Amino acid sequence: MHWLKDTYNWLERRIQLEGPVKDAILHPVPKNTASWWYVFGSAAFTLLLLQVVTGILLAIVYVPSGAEAWSSLQILNHQLPLGWFLRAMHGWGSNFMVAVVLIHMAQVFFFGAYKFPRELTWILGVFMLLMTLGMAFTGQVLRFDQDSYWGLGIGASIASRVPLIGAPLVHIMLGGPIIAGATLTRFFALHVFVIPGMLLAFTGLHVWMVLKLGVNEWPMPGRPVNRKTYIKEYHDLAHNDGIPFVPGAFWKDLVFSGAILAAVAVCAAVFGPYGPTGQPDPTIIQTVPKPDFFFLWLYSVLSYLPANLETPFLLIAPVLGIAVLLALPFYAGEGEKSWHRRPVAVMVLALVAVSWGTLTHLATFTPWSPVMNAWSGATVPAKFVHNLSPTERQGAVVFQSKQCRNCHALGGEGGQRGPALDTVATRLTEDQLIRQVVQGGGNMPAYGTSLSPPEVTALVRFLTTLHPVGQPGATDASRADAETNSPPVKAQAH
Amino acid sequence: MNLRFFSATGFSALALAASLSFISGCDQAPGASRAEVVERPDQITDFKTLYTQNCAGCHGNDGRNGAALALSNPVYQAWVDDATLQRIISQGEPPTQMPAFAQSSGGMLTDAQVDALVKGMRTAWPANGAFNGLTPPASQPSGQSDAAQGQKTYQTACAQCHSKPNQQVTDPTYLALVNNRTLRTLIVTGRPDLGHPDWRGVVNGQVQPGYPLNDQQVGDIIAYLNSLRSDTPGQPYSPHSQQ
Amino acid sequence: MTDPHNTPEPNTPDLVQEDQKITKDDPRVVSRRWMLMGFGALLNGVVGLAVAVPVVRYLLGPVKRKGAYNSWISLGSLEQFPAGETRLATYENPFNRPWDGETAKTACWVRHTGANKFQVFAINCAHLGCPVRWFPQSSLFMCPCHGGAYYADGSRASGPPERGLFEYAYKVVNSELHIDAGQMPTLSNPASPGQQAGNNNLPVINNSPKGCGSCTG
Repeated sequence: MHWLKDTYNWLERRIQLEGPVKDAILHPVPKNTASWWYVFGSAAFTLLLLQVVTGILLAIVYVPSGAEAWSSLQILNHQLPLGWFLRAMHGWGSNFMVAVVLIHMAQVFFFGAYKFPRELTWILGVFMLLMTLGMAFTGQVLRFDQDSYWGLGIGASIASRVPLIGAPLVHIMLGGPIIAGATLTRFFALHVFVIPGMLLAFTGLHVWMVLKLGVNEWPMPGRPVNRKTYIKEYHDLAHNDGIPFVPGAFWKDLVFSGAILAAVAVCAAVFGPYGPTGQPDPTIIQTVPKPDFFFLWLYSVLSYLPANLETPFLLIAPVLGIAVLLALPFYAGEGEKSWHRRPVAVMVLALVAVSWGTLTHLATFTPWSPVMNAWSGATVPAKFVHNLSPTERQGAVVFQSKQCRNCHALGGEGGQRGPALDTVATRLTEDQLIRQVVQGGGNMPAYGTSLSPPEVTALVRFLTTLHPVGQPGATDASRADAETNSPPVKAQAH
Repeated sequence: MNLRFFSATGFSALALAASLSFISGCDQAPGASRAEVVERPDQITDFKTLYTQNCAGCHGNDGRNGAALALSNPVYQAWVDDATLQRIISQGEPPTQMPAFAQSSGGMLTDAQVDALVKGMRTAWPANGAFNGLTPPASQPSGQSDAAQGQKTYQTACAQCHSKPNQQVTDPTYLALVNNRTLRTLIVTGRPDLGHPDWRGVVNGQVQPGYPLNDQQVGDIIAYLNSLRSDTPGQPYSPHSQQ
Repeated sequence: MTDPHNTPEPNTPDLVQEDQKITKDDPRVVSRRWMLMGFGALLNGVVGLAVAVPVVRYLLGPVKRKGAYNSWISLGSLEQFPAGETRLATYENPFNRPWDGETAKTACWVRHTGANKFQVFAINCAHLGCPVRWFPQSSLFMCPCHGGAYYADGSRASGPPERGLFEYAYKVVNSELHIDAGQMPTLSNPASPGQQAGNNNLPVINNSPKGCGSCTG
């Protein structure tokens, strides 16, 4: 084994990295940072490397051409041995990476690790989050399927709302007047060169600063950060009650990274690659575009914004959000780190997490969208068909053929844009139903011009049958009154 | 050194399992089959898919218990010819609610897909022997029909059920939403899923009085129902209440 | 920093120690060198700027003056569009690249209101550009993304859109329907910007691949 040592020495005399590396890995860190809570940063780094490797492997085959990108993915999926697996690894790796980066960020926020002297580390981290999301979006574009095509359309439509420069901005983003080959190539350059290059550089700097400034100590209530004394306090903590970073804390990073990689591989093997969905042919209009998982929340937000708030919100909210994140370490650079003493921070984190979860959940079943095929594909439940009069049954046909079902569910099937109508007769009287159908209102279009009187009548007759067996439908009390007590009314009229 | 031992054996086991699974053909992993090829919507010719997306809403799953005609009714399948099915799917059946599905009529289906629907129905719902050797009334009206005669036939053959308040077919609103072909199809082929007999009039194993109906009688009943049509069908209040 | 090498190779200078042996120069020499380095930096700055300007121009290449992407595009014979109906039509976008593939195609909805009067709607929802679908039975355009709906004349019926569907200018030439199109319509890029300036001298391009997309076969 003597030759091994000789070779090492020969190399080391020329490279001379042993000293700095030893410094870096053996530097003392506070003992309680060797925690499973501190593994997400390194896991994100591991996932970044995975994305680089799988990305390069995919780039060997992928063709960034508007005409051929989609087919090259089909070849990856179906003809190259394990091509599907690499696509799945890259796709799931991307999902895991966004998730781990978000968790890492939440943990850093929760532990007050962005405070002095790690402000710049946090700021770099904010930009790295944006780049990670940028990678996720541009990666979805490279899939160049229908979701990607119309996702670009959504992006262009948002860009067009920028005042003054909206129009040229759209053309710069698309690389021309329409979504086409030129759009794909520029997103390819962003996804493969620009953003990863910046992300790797930022990652290097981020890690460098973690090494130089030390891993954030475990936050203890009653030990606030003070700019004047913190450096010395941290130094004492690390040296008096510290352990070398490697292996004391590092082994947990290694194990977790390995576990994350294994999880990516299992997900890839079990759930397979993402798409591509249908080919990016804009003349195929039987499509329901949807963004990837980590943009679903945005999809929900865009559906719920009132029309007059949409442009201001789209343009101001992201800027404001990023500004708040960047300003955070300056606004709250000192003080308590422990969550026990930071109730506002804990509540903000909880609010963001719950909102994000809710919006994402909503986007999985898009209650705001008409279900385009429901009118012809979602069957009228048999219990609503039997025991109907012929007119009412024709009303059920009208209900289907006039696409009411696209927005209104029956028996749990159909759109959820409007209310489900299983028990509508208990809520609306016949007259109210007629008015609602004919005039619309409450975000329902008016159908007065597209339904003939017999169609309206049959439809409403059908709707009046939609009530539970033991519960009668709503009736207009004054109408019944008018019928039974008509003589006095008539007398007054005369 | 327990830890080292465990990690060493653990990792070798993991690595072994991983390489074994790859050698044994990872292309068999469940994920591989999830990478489906999405067909262009105009290339789909699978009957089940086409029927589920385009027809099931009104005609019901498996062609029965729907709001509109039961397509799986063997009598209907035996009675209707390919050309008629093709034409109705392609161009719709105004003024009923049956929409036009062919692209040439503003729908979403290609001619090949319409063909696939017709052929698929014939395969999925065979009609063999549905007539039991009897000859049903023709699908096209022939000769003169007589509304007055039709009313008499209606009273014998139809009124027993259709005079019930929940079974009214003489309602002008109903009549405005169906045409003669709908009426003829219903009278001749029935709605077995809803208990409506076909032209042979068999209900609960018993032939009802006045049945089976012949071609003339069917035409007469339709003429009678046509005489009940209103100029202002479906108006919410009857002319009497408007004074 | 500790020297890790117990036995340095013979005849190899220790570079680290050599580095530290550099002595301070005469201050005047240093100031001249600093000045020369300043020159070098300035030169790089000037050249860099000179090179960067073309790069900016290159990156702004897709930006053209309003309406420059548009031309009159034939959607084919009028017979494809029955009076009183709304049909899907497709055309090849005039500004395209050989590698665009099927993305060069564009779809639009043509409503024939009668007597050679038309309305040609962009396929893109006025909200965020998703493809709207026409439902003749309920006379509505519905958008699959965020639930926008429009009436037959393109006006907003419900949902998040803040305006009606984008409409292309059209003209009838030799019983063919021509539309003024070429760019994806968005809130700041109108479907037919030339019409606002009264520019009717656009080039005419006849490249509808199949004409009416709903009339094949």
